[in-house]
Amino acid sequence: MIEFINRPVVRLTLIGLIALVVQTTLLADLQFDGIALQIMLAMSIGAGISGGSERGALAGFMFGLMFDLVLSSPLGLTALVYGLVGFLAGYANSLAVANPWWLNALIGAGGSAAATFAYPVVATWVGVDGWLTTRVIEVAIVVALANALIVPLAAPVMRWGLVIKRRARLAPPPEIFA
Amino acid sequence: MFSMSRRRAVVLLALSSILLITLDLQGNAVVDGVRRAFGTVFQPLQDAGRVITRPIGNAWRGITQYDDLEAENERLQDRIDQQEGAFIAALATARDAQELLALNGIDDLTGISSITAQVVGENPTNFSQTVEINQGSSDGLRVGMPVVNAAGLVGKVTEVFANRSIVMLATDVSYAIPIQVLNLPEPEPVVTTTTTTVPTTTTTTTTTTTPTSTSTTTTTPLSPLSPSPLTSIAPVVTSIAPVLTVAPPTTQPTPSSVVDINALPAAETGAFRGRGSDRAPIVEFVDQSSRFGEIKVGAVVITAGGSKSLAPRGIVIGRVVKIVERSGTSGAVLEVRLTARLSTLNFVRVLLYQPAVSP
Repeated sequence: MIEFINRPVVRLTLIGLIALVVQTTLLADLQFDGIALQIMLAMSIGAGISGGSERGALAGFMFGLMFDLVLSSPLGLTALVYGLVGFLAGYANSLAVANPWWLNALIGAGGSAAATFAYPVVATWVGVDGWLTTRVIEVAIVVALANALIVPLAAPVMRWGLVIKRRARLAPPPEIFA
Repeated sequence: MFSMSRRRAVVLLALSSILLITLDLQGNAVVDGVRRAFGTVFQPLQDAGRVITRPIGNAWRGITQYDDLEAENERLQDRIDQQEGAFIAALATARDAQELLALNGIDDLTGISSITAQVVGENPTNFSQTVEINQGSSDGLRVGMPVVNAAGLVGKVTEVFANRSIVMLATDVSYAIPIQVLNLPEPEPVVTTTTTTVPTTTTTTTTTTTPTSTSTTTTTPLSPLSPSPLTSIAPVVTSIAPVLTVAPPTTQPTPSSVVDINALPAAETGAFRGRGSDRAPIVEFVDQSSRFGEIKVGAVVITAGGSKSLAPRGIVIGRVVKIVERSGTSGAVLEVRLTARLSTLNFVRVLLYQPAVSP
């Protein structure tokens, strides 16, 4: 049983389901000027920061796919964007030797803004017109500011989700040797 | 900088996403099945989460929207007072209209079964415009059914699970429906018909209420951002009501049973589509015949119905608030203000209507 729970896929599924419940209930209610905060996106970026670009992409893809399954938007759209953002967050984090909390916040804000702009662009590319409006700027600012606060909290959760041991966490990221 | 395996992993994920998007957009049955299965598994978790988070959401709304609610309450109280007279006249007219439709074998909204549902979930994203309702396929709901509330069109059902459904709001960029634009007749004839009908509609309450509502609507010019849809529809109600019989059925047939076709509003068809939460929905491709004349700000927009339309004819959508002329043959674009307030939905009605021919 413990071995089962220790698998990253199981832990990520658990985290993803809880985050999805929070996203579709609490955060759907607590909107700022009609803008909902995006905890699934924060988790994807947190995975990139904690586990590196590859695991960030996988976790982002998984969370995006779960989110797509409860939305009426095309399946795979959010998975694509969150996967890419998870990858970029991991890559950006690998460029720094240390990762203080403010750097996580900065990556969280930048990644969230990038994902919020990328989402309607990809949607337009696959044929869903009308999302790419000036409102995207307002949405990107609010989501980026909120995720700057959420991502530093999401990173330790994602470390647990990705089963990253303390020793591995303190070691330099693998990208530094590349 | 990137190793080969890492690059390959990212490319694989991106290709998988694109494959999924392609399959979903083509309407793959497996994708639909997976979505439904996930929805069934996820629903109990979401319900449990909602029980826990609802008080927090209510507290948040109480803090952030208290002033708005208070102002809205006062405004609605004023509007109720204004509409009371028009409502009584409208009731009589609606009854007569239903009789006429039944006589001519035309379906109307009252003949369509409906289910009341409560909005239990808001839109979790910042792009699509959807809400979640607490009725599903076990209650007879199907994808495509129109959703309305007391004010007018709300949207359509896009996803159906066993006990819940996702409703795409009329403001969503993917929402489109054939509509009719009704140019309301000029208010002058209303005054004359009111005076002539007094002898025929002897003791009914309509005779006392009609002048009240008429005077209100004729003296108030229709501004482009006039907030009250019903008071502006009142001229139609009051102009038709006296011509059609409002008297009890025992009265002998009178010339009043003849409908004056010129008094009825002219209608033209077009296409309605949403443009997101921050922009007003629009009507395009409106044919303008000579009888229809020039489209006016304040014209009423209703669903057009038809064998392929997902909604029956006659659901009120809203009113034209702005007319944007375009050069060439493309015609004007009409910006529409919806009569239903989609930001504060609570209870809605799903019409169990499916078109005769699948669209």
